Amino acid sequence: MKRILIYINFSLLLLGSLSSCHKVEVAINSELTPDVYPQTAAQFNSATGPVYVALRGNYSVDYYFLQTLSSSEAILPAFGGNWYDGDKYEQLHKHSWNKDNAWVNSVWTYLENVIGTTNQTLYILSPAPDGSAKQTTLAELKTVRALCYFLMMDLYANVPIDSVYGNTTLHTNTPRPQLFTYVESELKAAIPYLNRVSGQAQYGRPNAYTAWTILAKMYLNAGVYTGTQRNDDCIAACDSVINSGLYSLEPMSTYLQMFYPTNGPTQKEFIFAIPYDASTTNGYMFHARYDLNRNLGIRYKYSGSTNGSITDPVMNQTYPGSGLLNSQPSGPQSVLPEYYAYFSDPNDVRNGQWLTGLQYWPDGQPLMVTTTNKGYDASYSGSSPAATYTYQLNLTPGMQFRSTATGANPSLFDFGNDEIAWNMGYRNIKFYPDYTNTVSRNQNNDVPVFRYSDIILMKAEAILRGGTATQGQTALSLANQLRAVRTTTPAWTTITVDSVYAERCREFSWECWHRNDMIRFGKFEDSYGFKTDSDPNHRIFPIPTTALSTNATLTQNPGY
Amino acid sequence: MQLNCHVEAPLLRVFLRPKICLAMRMIVVMLTVACLQVSAGGYSQKLSLSVKRQSLEEVFREIKQKTGYVFWYKLDMLKHARKVTISVFDQELVKVLDVIFKDQPLSYEIVDKTIAIKVKETAPPALDLASLPPPITVSGKVVDEKGGPLAGVSIQVKGATGGVQTGADGSFTIPGVKESAVLVFSYVGYQAQEVAVSGRTSINIVLRAETQSLGDMVVVGYGRASRKNLSSSVSTVKPEDLNKGAISDVGQLLQGKVPGLNISASGDPNKTAAVVMRGASTVNSPGGPFYVIDGVPGADISIIAPDDIASIDVLKDAAATAIYGNRAASGIIMVTTKKGRKGATQVTYSGYVGLEQVSRKLKLMDTTQLRTYARNNSLSFSPSDDKNANTDWQSAIERSSAFSHNHNLSFSGGGEHSNYIASINYLDKQGILTGSELKRVIARLSIEQYALKDHVKFGLNVSNSNSNATNVPLQNIVLIQMTKHLPISPVKNADGTYFENFNTTGYFNPVAMIHHAQDNTKYNTLVGSFTTEVKLPFGLTYNLNLSYQQLNSLHGEFYDSYYSNYPTSNFYTNPDPGIGITHQLIGSLFGTNGSALRSSYQNTNKTLETFLTWNRQFGAHSINAVLGYSWQGNIIGDGFQSTSTNFPADNIGYNNLALGVPYAISTYRINFGNDGVYQETRFISDFARLNYNYNDKYLLQASLRRDGSSVFGANNEWGYFPSVGVAWRIGEEGFMKAQNLFSDLKLRGSYGVTGNSSGFGAYTAQLIYGITGTYYSNGAQVGAYGPLQGANPNLKWERTATTNVGVDFAILKGKLSASVDWYDKNTTGMIFNYSVSSSLVPGGKIWANGGSINNKGIELSLNATPVTNGDFSWNTGLNLAHNVNRITSLINPYTNKQDSIGYSDPEGKGQTNSTLQLLKSGHPLGQFFTLQYAGKDASGNSQFVSGKGTLTNSPAIGTDYHYAGNAQPTLLMGWSNTFRYKKFDLNIFLRGVFGNKIFDATRADLFSVNTATTNNILADAAGDKATDAKNGYYSTRFLENGSYVRFDNATLGYSIKNIGEYVHTLRFYVSANNLFVITKYKGIDPEINQGGVAPGVDYNNFYPKTRTVMFGVNVSF
Repeated sequence: MKRILIYINFSLLLLGSLSSCHKVEVAINSELTPDVYPQTAAQFNSATGPVYVALRGNYSVDYYFLQTLSSSEAILPAFGGNWYDGDKYEQLHKHSWNKDNAWVNSVWTYLENVIGTTNQTLYILSPAPDGSAKQTTLAELKTVRALCYFLMMDLYANVPIDSVYGNTTLHTNTPRPQLFTYVESELKAAIPYLNRVSGQAQYGRPNAYTAWTILAKMYLNAGVYTGTQRNDDCIAACDSVINSGLYSLEPMSTYLQMFYPTNGPTQKEFIFAIPYDASTTNGYMFHARYDLNRNLGIRYKYSGSTNGSITDPVMNQTYPGSGLLNSQPSGPQSVLPEYYAYFSDPNDVRNGQWLTGLQYWPDGQPLMVTTTNKGYDASYSGSSPAATYTYQLNLTPGMQFRSTATGANPSLFDFGNDEIAWNMGYRNIKFYPDYTNTVSRNQNNDVPVFRYSDIILMKAEAILRGGTATQGQTALSLANQLRAVRTTTPAWTTITVDSVYAERCREFSWECWHRNDMIRFGKFEDSYGFKTDSDPNHRIFPIPTTALSTNATLTQNPGY
Repeated sequence: MQLNCHVEAPLLRVFLRPKICLAMRMIVVMLTVACLQVSAGGYSQKLSLSVKRQSLEEVFREIKQKTGYVFWYKLDMLKHARKVTISVFDQELVKVLDVIFKDQPLSYEIVDKTIAIKVKETAPPALDLASLPPPITVSGKVVDEKGGPLAGVSIQVKGATGGVQTGADGSFTIPGVKESAVLVFSYVGYQAQEVAVSGRTSINIVLRAETQSLGDMVVVGYGRASRKNLSSSVSTVKPEDLNKGAISDVGQLLQGKVPGLNISASGDPNKTAAVVMRGASTVNSPGGPFYVIDGVPGADISIIAPDDIASIDVLKDAAATAIYGNRAASGIIMVTTKKGRKGATQVTYSGYVGLEQVSRKLKLMDTTQLRTYARNNSLSFSPSDDKNANTDWQSAIERSSAFSHNHNLSFSGGGEHSNYIASINYLDKQGILTGSELKRVIARLSIEQYALKDHVKFGLNVSNSNSNATNVPLQNIVLIQMTKHLPISPVKNADGTYFENFNTTGYFNPVAMIHHAQDNTKYNTLVGSFTTEVKLPFGLTYNLNLSYQQLNSLHGEFYDSYYSNYPTSNFYTNPDPGIGITHQLIGSLFGTNGSALRSSYQNTNKTLETFLTWNRQFGAHSINAVLGYSWQGNIIGDGFQSTSTNFPADNIGYNNLALGVPYAISTYRINFGNDGVYQETRFISDFARLNYNYNDKYLLQASLRRDGSSVFGANNEWGYFPSVGVAWRIGEEGFMKAQNLFSDLKLRGSYGVTGNSSGFGAYTAQLIYGITGTYYSNGAQVGAYGPLQGANPNLKWERTATTNVGVDFAILKGKLSASVDWYDKNTTGMIFNYSVSSSLVPGGKIWANGGSINNKGIELSLNATPVTNGDFSWNTGLNLAHNVNRITSLINPYTNKQDSIGYSDPEGKGQTNSTLQLLKSGHPLGQFFTLQYAGKDASGNSQFVSGKGTLTNSPAIGTDYHYAGNAQPTLLMGWSNTFRYKKFDLNIFLRGVFGNKIFDATRADLFSVNTATTNNILADAAGDKATDAKNGYYSTRFLENGSYVRFDNATLGYSIKNIGEYVHTLRFYVSANNLFVITKYKGIDPEINQGGVAPGVDYNNFYPKTRTVMFGVNVSF
């Protein structure tokens, strides 16, 4: 026995020593490994791409919903069970969310992912040859990361800071005021290295003025975030942007085009925008899917829809292949009347973003829809429910629960599934449906994060809130500077904090700032739509399940 | 002194067993002869004797009486004695004896007054022929182990040419045989047997099937072992016990046959069955067992035609599997194919035709039911839908009957130094869904050649399988559309166009979808192996096996211009359930004016295995030692994919991408497929095994494998996988001789460690950059290249430690035999794509080792032959398996707490983000975690039990979920019965699964009453009010008992032997599959996929199950 074991051991040793027979590694020649990538300047440049891909990822869907549907701006109800989706939209409207809410979770993951990708990219770029180009690139990436931490501070308040790639130590929440200090110092450290130009070469990447604008936002909201007002710092930050001379307000004639699928680096008002392109597989920007009434697909060439062989432009006809049916948007989202009320000035160019009332084809013909008596009104009790009913599409203001005979069910946030229900609520087409894309629902519209008009209104508000006016500009002069390119109604003669709020509503609809404004102006606990909640803890979202399950050192925000 | 035992000591015979009596007599006789043989002459006694055809013994008795001479002989010696006829008067005793012994095979010697009888020395060659015993005619019958007659058995006289064959009843007559001749019985598929005639004229023989002889010999890794001396848990399935039916997949052949193998088959001819051995040993997409075909590790199981299988050995415990190291954690299935046999040339044809029909349909509402429901709930239909039709959409996409046929022709033979077998198999199997079909040709050649005085054996095996699989395009979407379409709408409009109503979101005519698209994949798998076995001195054998496997796939998809009508914005996939799987929008796939996709990939697999075996016996000690080395290199995904669109006509299909003009569509992007398809891996191993056996009583087996793999992290490339097994054959012990209950009894115990290295990519442990999308850079969208995954240099294999205790016994003289196994299987360091904070690892996922899972279970297999009675016999086999699966931890290095991963999200209407299952420690894989249904409230709306225990109408995802049952069965059963009566045989097989729950998400989605006017519902939903919007919520309402008993197969066969001089055997049979299912399950079929991470979810992904009737014939020439 012993001898056998010796033989076995010896033979194993012998086999083991034949190293050529035991080379288990394989050469990788089908993938980019650290041996080959990144090495060149072009490769280092393309290595920063994932940060911008990640940033683009969920901004215009998840992030948009979390910021917008939780405010008085918009509502996304259910229609016969469609769009109920585990009440994730209803919770946003009613402020009844919990740590399991899908949007609360996905936005956390989205922003953390941009942060992690940035950390990783900073690590990857560290061996790149030193020089000003490298310093600028690193500063840009740190500014993106700071933007994300700023957004997380705004949404979740107390967030762990992870800034070093490769570290696996889990960090607990950093309290909001410290997070504020961290983001501020990161931005200030980055500014000296950031470019001071705008235009095509810089578009989509942050420059020094992006960093100043983030700082201006933070200082304006410093009272909310830290308890200490910093209006003068806000004004100084705004002045840095104003004094650059790179930006100007869009004239009235082209205001609406600023958000069209054709927008881009020529937009003088965009300080920082996220470029979307319909050709990208993960270009998740499709507002028309949510905002366009379902009978308006062909009218706005939604997703490449075309009026087919039938010339009679009545929607919903069922002739096979008529092309009058294809590519319907789902169109569940509409503006809340409380918010739309701010658009009362008939001379305001910004009214053009709304679809209200009776609808027409571009040539002025009424847009007719054919259905049945019952299909139009589910509560129809006449003798011929299946008889054809044709009507001109008419969008009515706001959502109203009707009798249960219509299928409406308040406990399910459900307004019924008939034409009347689907036509409730005015629609926003600021991010104009993409008439250039014939294949997918992705849109070409670039989405601004910061516009120059925000600088103007922030400075005005900071002055109104006690900041010291600079450069001869007053709150009133600043507001009128903006209004002069938005409306033909005569300039304001007085200005209040509330009128700035109203102007911000008109200016930044669908641009993800209304929740932030409502909290700062103390209006987040108001009742609007079907929401009655007034718990101030809800100004901050809960730390979501996805975060808690991957990091047990986190503590939940108060009130959850 | 009367020592003739036969005559004088009858009492002794009673007390002593015959063998001992015989031995004693021999000893006495021999001693006496030795002592007394002094002189032969000196006596001249005379006598008269007259007998006619008397036995020699009788004659001896008479002589003794008359002379007082005593005869000494061994009783045996007289067995071949000839009858005596003699008539002498007063002759000398010696003369009389000379006459008597003249024709006897015996001679005599007279010592004192004793006549000693002895066997004649072989006659010298000079002896004249007349003095030899005349040739005799031997007749008899050849039967198999079950007593059934074997026809066509060839019988040869050893050393002579020619021979005869048995007739239909197994009988034979062979004239002119020397009494001393040896007959050789051989028959394909059976173990040859040599029998000495020894003067007998009647010889009955039982031939053992080859696999049965292997049944005593089990195929284990790198060698064979005798079953009786096995210390591990191995189940063997013989070809006649494999499932019958129009089956193209080896998994289905084994369904219900092996305790501990949980196999769930789909009705789809192009989908293989999910195989889980002894419970899921990982949460990382638990894979099936590792297949070793004729010694080729990791061979593609699709190259095997069922008719070519000689045996399947299922290695279950770690003592058996650890020799395959880091690929053995899910068990090993060893498939052995048929080989040619010496001296028996044979041509065999097997064929069948089968007809399948859908066995069960969903009970969707028909027009009358739906209209009644609408009337009762004051609903009306859109004129776009209501065309006064009464369409059964299930029938619309199903064939009324699917046809399949299979033909297998094999020829084999062999001489003294070589043998061969070749076979060709053709299968054409239609799926029950219109358009789905599998056509497959398998050709196989296997040659063995001996050289160097038979010291070296070369083997060449070549097998090629060529499949042409036509799938239902977008099958899962077609299935969901089939269920959703309203019966009041026709398949086609009056003008012949397909009915469509795009007003209803996500609503597409399933018949049009099938008709306007194509989906086809052609596979070609080639496996070649070359083996060399050298017999060396000192009991050493050296083996060198080289093998090469190549799989080519050519895939094509085409969606014609009709698909451009479909709304791209709400055309979603309907994926099978899993973790992180959500439906995807695929509208843009359809391009404009037709869209085609073509892909071609090749996988290759090269293996070198070499091992030295030492087999020695030292008295009662016997040793078998194996020492070896294995090298395997694999390349997968060597190929490409491309797409095109904008074709001038629809008839081109995917056959000519060059005709498309994709660039005319500005937003169209050619799809080159996924990044990282090409992967190369390497596995290198050293292994050793020692088997020690003392006196066939005490058995020890130990093995060690050192495995290296390129798929692991740099710090963990190599691992050791040890095992040890012991067995005690109690039945062989002396103290067991006194009892009659057990005819065999063995106790086994083993412990071993195996690994799992599958379920993740080749470069998972490494930092890899890939394209993460495109981003805006200075006016253009440019590629963004970033890490797809971080490096994990510590990534290693999953470690599965298994303890197995078993007992094998046979009682009632072997009429009942049984094996019982208990096991405890513990997997640690499960490789899983763990969720981590996205700020630590971009993407929020990392492949890491962490967590653990446990399986404990008990398996029983029983085999009995309750009746064997002349023409009739009944053999029955029952196997039962019980397994308890539990995740014991989900902790990994990147999170100090990783738990409660909700998954399986069917995304029913309004239910996005609702999950059905939960991964959580303390719970089994597939734990259901969902809402708890609590009936209706006063207004008829569904209500649920909230997380706090109160009732609610608006339950929340997660917080209001409850633990609701286990998807894994507690008991699996297979029960087979074989009845034989004369030429008929009847085989009946029943299969059962008990104690599992199925989540019927299909039913839930078809309960959506509030959209009953746009999407059809089940007839069972008629009791719910249309205003009850949450009646179809995923909840315990749709969690059903998944237990079932299936009457899986009944086969009636009739065999005729020796028809004319050309046909040896002919067997006709008729077989029926899936005759009925006893179940409370309300879905289409309770046999829902049990594999993977999301077992037991019926998710609109069902392919209808069928009932099959087939007629088959087997002929051998």
